[in-house]
Amino acid sequence: MKKWMILVLICSIFFIGFSTIVFASEKKLKAGFVYVGPVGDYGFTHAHDLGRKFAEEKFPWLETIIVESVGEADSARIIDRLIQQQKCDVVFTASFGYMEDTIKAGARYPDKLFMHCSGFKRSANVGTYFGDLYQMYYLNGLMAGALTKTNKIGYVAAFPIPELIRHINAYALGIKAANPKAKLNVKWIYAWYGPDKAKEAAEALIAEGNDALAFTEDTPAVIEVGQRHAEKGKQIYTFSHYSAMQPYGEDSVVSGQLMNWGGIYAKILEDIYNDKFTKDYDILWLAKEKAAILGGNEKDIINPKFVDDLKAAMIESKEFGKISAYDLVVKRYEQMKQGRDVFEPYTGPIYDNKGNLKIKAGEKATMGELLSIMYYVDGVEGSIPQ
Amino acid sequence: MEDIIISTLQRAMVAGTPLLLATTGEVICERSGILNLGVEGVMAMGAVVAFIVTMTTGHPWLGVLAAIAVGMAFSIIHAFTSITLQANQVVSGLALTMLGLGLSGMLGKPYVGKPLSIKMEDWVIPYFSDIPYLGKILFSQGPFFYIAIFLAMASWFLLERTRLGIQIRSTGENPKATETQGVNVFKIKYLSVIIGGGFSALAGAHLSISYSKSWIEGMTAGRGWIAIALTIFALWNPGRAIWAAFLFGGIFVVQYLLQPLGISPNFLSMLPYIATLLILLLISLKDPKKLNAPAMLAEPYKRGER
Repeated sequence: MKKWMILVLICSIFFIGFSTIVFASEKKLKAGFVYVGPVGDYGFTHAHDLGRKFAEEKFPWLETIIVESVGEADSARIIDRLIQQQKCDVVFTASFGYMEDTIKAGARYPDKLFMHCSGFKRSANVGTYFGDLYQMYYLNGLMAGALTKTNKIGYVAAFPIPELIRHINAYALGIKAANPKAKLNVKWIYAWYGPDKAKEAAEALIAEGNDALAFTEDTPAVIEVGQRHAEKGKQIYTFSHYSAMQPYGEDSVVSGQLMNWGGIYAKILEDIYNDKFTKDYDILWLAKEKAAILGGNEKDIINPKFVDDLKAAMIESKEFGKISAYDLVVKRYEQMKQGRDVFEPYTGPIYDNKGNLKIKAGEKATMGELLSIMYYVDGVEGSIPQ
Repeated sequence: MEDIIISTLQRAMVAGTPLLLATTGEVICERSGILNLGVEGVMAMGAVVAFIVTMTTGHPWLGVLAAIAVGMAFSIIHAFTSITLQANQVVSGLALTMLGLGLSGMLGKPYVGKPLSIKMEDWVIPYFSDIPYLGKILFSQGPFFYIAIFLAMASWFLLERTRLGIQIRSTGENPKATETQGVNVFKIKYLSVIIGGGFSALAGAHLSISYSKSWIEGMTAGRGWIAIALTIFALWNPGRAIWAAFLFGGIFVVQYLLQPLGISPNFLSMLPYIATLLILLLISLKDPKKLNAPAMLAEPYKRGER
């Protein structure tokens, strides 16, 4: 036997032995992620991917794979690929539109797990998870209502689904608490990622006289428009969404909301790893769990440029009496961090914008009601497109 | 109300700029008798190249030049197949669109969603920008707006008032007669297709580095097809293309204003095509000669054949 053959033999025995030690000693978990937008969108998908990276760094046993920019009609095919070719143990589908395909995939692969983000359908091996920002929209509404000069406030919206209606209504409830005269106008762009559409919608809102804009779509386009107008001398207030967008509009962004998916993903993956996944698994994290964070960047909850204006704006509050908008925002934020039972924006009496009583006085909307909400509250103009 | 009108017209100018650029290019190209359905693809290539070059070098004008160069080179594919090989121009143009959309998506993958921090300042024309109404609408726009208007007017002058323009037009009308006059028809056709490609790429560059300041696959969103429809709508005249393009830019902008009235955005995005069909129908019914379409449009020219 030649020398090199012996060497090869020793090496391969050593390698096989080594690899069996590694695989035997540690249980591995492979997670696939299906994203609706590009990971660099600086919005929804960007935030999810930060969360995924957080979990991957935290757990040495975790391996992840992503597929980005998956159209909602394509998700079934992509899920199949993740399960069959990539051998994923669990697949996360991070968009409302993937709901039906995720449920069907659960029936197709009963020995695998699926987690669907923002939906309401569950089964034995399909769970749901979500981190919602509606509380932050309420706080944005307080600030928008206090700052507006025209009493017209705008909102650029992607698609008419419960998540957005919930944001719009919370924003409107905040506005109403700060300034009952102000009205909220909504424009739909029918795109999660469409900087050109968001831009034109924002310009149209400004042309109609709206001077404080919030949005739910995945680009900083609305903030760029606000910044451009602010530079030209017309103060437009904007509220950042999902990622830290304040750098795009230092003269325009008042505040906003940040989403931290890291904790949520870590919790779910840890539960799965420790076999704690049960039928109808559901996780919904809000401000209390530090999933929803107030602010246009990681540093300040409110842009220092607008703090003085907010301290000067006085609001008549039932609970606190006469209070500055700044103090009210800080107080409400603290209450939200303590939990929904301490303060909930959706506390009755709440009427829809046609005058029907939807939530009785003193009652709080249940999370189930909020997850399927499909009416505008009082203060929002127009009606939800069909 | 006044604010709404001024702002709408101002935004219409911005939204119409890429349409005008692409339409002007397509007019020159079709006037020489070559139908180029590859506008959408060339536009996408222009957009992605302009974005990548601007992002890496920090110079937007370098990005614009690179986009034009790539657009011209890219459209040579169509020129070669349709002029030298005399292949079916519809097929070749469609292939160019698919190739351009696919290739741009592939090249731009690492750049998706990255915002461009470089700003192109608006060119505010002194004195003129102080004119009430018009000043805000016409004289304080981004650089691409002025470039588009200038190029459209220059193209009109080129086609209608210069020797080269006559050669281009007569190539599209009757290449055989043109050739007997000692004009190199193939050269003229190649030139027109390449110029058209440069225009389309410039339109794409406007979209990615000035209008949305970001790149995403498929961001041209059918604007190339609207440009082809507009070429017919403008009856192959760059002068008419100016107001036609801004009219359709206005339609894009106005859909957000009409939303509260319950008008479907899908219906509004159909409007450019409906309008094109209508104008074709009306003119054909009334006086087909006025249609002014190049007689040999999309007909391959074979030297020495009858």
